[in-house]
Amino acid sequence: MWDLVSNLQLGLSVAGSLHNAALCFLGCLIGTLIGVLPGVGPIATIAMLLPLTFGLDPVGALIMLAGIYYGAQYGGSTTAILVNIPGEATAVVTVLDGHQMAKQGRAGIALGIAAIGSFIAGTIATIIIAAAAKPLTSLALLFGPADYFALMVLGLMFAVVLARGSVPKAIAMILFGILLSTVGTDIETGEERLTFGWMEIADGIDFAIIAMGMFGFAEILRNLEHREARGVVSAKIGQLLPNFSDFKTSFAPILRGTGIGSLLGFLPGNGAVLGPFASYSIEKKLAKDPSRFGQGAIEGVAGPESANNAGAQTAFIPLLTLGIPPNAVMALMIGAMTIHGIVPGPQIISKQPDLFWGMIASMWIGNLMLLIINLPLIGIWVRLLRVPYRLMFPAIVIFCCIGIYSINNSPTQVALTGAFALFGYLLIKLGFEQAPLLLGFVLGNLMEEKLRQAMVISRGSLWTFVDRPVSLGLLVLALIVFIVSALPAISRSRETVFTE
Amino acid sequence: MAVEDPAEQSAGESARSTFLNREVLAGLFLLASAAFGYYAAYPLDAGSMSGVGSGLMPKSVALGLGGFGVYLVASGLVGDHERVEGFSLRGIIFVLGGILAFAATVRPMGLLVAGPLAMLLSSLADQDTRPLEILIFTACMTLGCYLLFKALLHLPIPVLPPLLGY
Repeated sequence: MWDLVSNLQLGLSVAGSLHNAALCFLGCLIGTLIGVLPGVGPIATIAMLLPLTFGLDPVGALIMLAGIYYGAQYGGSTTAILVNIPGEATAVVTVLDGHQMAKQGRAGIALGIAAIGSFIAGTIATIIIAAAAKPLTSLALLFGPADYFALMVLGLMFAVVLARGSVPKAIAMILFGILLSTVGTDIETGEERLTFGWMEIADGIDFAIIAMGMFGFAEILRNLEHREARGVVSAKIGQLLPNFSDFKTSFAPILRGTGIGSLLGFLPGNGAVLGPFASYSIEKKLAKDPSRFGQGAIEGVAGPESANNAGAQTAFIPLLTLGIPPNAVMALMIGAMTIHGIVPGPQIISKQPDLFWGMIASMWIGNLMLLIINLPLIGIWVRLLRVPYRLMFPAIVIFCCIGIYSINNSPTQVALTGAFALFGYLLIKLGFEQAPLLLGFVLGNLMEEKLRQAMVISRGSLWTFVDRPVSLGLLVLALIVFIVSALPAISRSRETVFTE
Repeated sequence: MAVEDPAEQSAGESARSTFLNREVLAGLFLLASAAFGYYAAYPLDAGSMSGVGSGLMPKSVALGLGGFGVYLVASGLVGDHERVEGFSLRGIIFVLGGILAFAATVRPMGLLVAGPLAMLLSSLADQDTRPLEILIFTACMTLGCYLLFKALLHLPIPVLPPLLGY
């Protein structure tokens, strides 16, 4: 217990320094600024803003990136409430009642309760992360290569089940991602793989190139297909602070949402997207008058928004303790860490305690800042929402081009990003989802490394995956997840969850 | 409600008129990618079980990808599926053109040439673009990017053609 307090104290002293707090503030601010723009999700936002952190020290850079992430998340909710366009999957539920509230002139209260709920959820999730980090890290040290491999298989399986669209297509995308991850020099043998002697990719394909090409540029191509129909709420935003009765109705949903979101966020393979859905349906079941839902019920905003934010934060746990990203955003964070020379994994907590605890403390500070930034600045976000797409996408193009160029000062990589844009657009048109590819790409190298280690240790016996209880358990779980998702009844209900 | 894939909205009516529906095309795409991946990994040694070589992962993943390709083609031929429609050719040409123009000009000409070029070229992708508006906006964005990336962050990106001595 005292450990926890002193660790958090260390974290607060790192994150609370003027320099880092300013970076956190800046991150939250520009994260929200970009995240508010309709059609720009958190992945694109982080990829786009990554170059801003290049000149910083690793601790400051990660704190700023985390701030950008929360900002982008919150910006997505703002867009959902005011424009009826969810910026990303986790804000989908917010649209249902949030936008109705906005139409009734209660947009301010919807935004306010979203911010307050997110803050409460963020505070609780921060404590959960801090408490869970130590035990999980020591658990991680017991993991052998075979167990790691099995854990990643499980994570990818979850990602498949939670992806929209068909299961075979999602698995294919993961395989595609793994295939792309093998491009470049093989770490063990030093052979160049799949490069055709092209020096530019001898070090492998840069993660940011794929992320920006497939999420930044390909989204532009997709958006250009449709004529713009954006109904920014024209009713007054109204007062921001919820009154006492609003708060009373929302308080229990906020706590329930936080619990659900934190728990699901832990799961490998993007469990966080489920949080808002689960919270919404639970609130609807518990409500005295369920028919209010969809008509602007405040619980329908408070619960899911809290679940969303809690899940967004506990998703850091697998990343920080095991070094395994549970979803595409966390995959991007790994990419960012690698650029700054940090190898995520169980060793961080002991080797770089200031980085580890500083980042955790900055999560709480970031949430506090979001509350402070967003409430007074809502007027600005509303004006940003009215920026027409015809101006927005050229701005994204120039920003991403400069960003990609600055990663390695290489014009070729800018061109390569263009190629991935075309590739990503093709995948969209063919009904593939891109997020599993990104996850497969990031986990690919790690999986191969662990597989090789496991095989060397077991002298080539595949039984090692079954002999070890941990890896056996994880693999069985993965198999169950897969079978369950393939059952027709489940896959049908899965469809309704994601299309409703 | 709103998570659906826009491509799926156009589904339905025209579904039965072609064998080259979305599933079949998706399967063929996977098959082609798998074949290419396997071909590229062909010279690599897969090694043995106790000494996994550099070729095992790419080759087995490519084979798996091919398997899913076959599955998608087969299921596409059997069932009714929507067609692939509404490619935004204009978007592809001008947005990619803008990106490539940036890549081609940033070294020799610098940010202050490449940036506006990329913006103006890509802006042609949208038929709603208004000339005066985009010119003014481009000028502002270029200046903003210069201030942000060069003056504030000191990124080593060329600003003007080296011939001008900058």
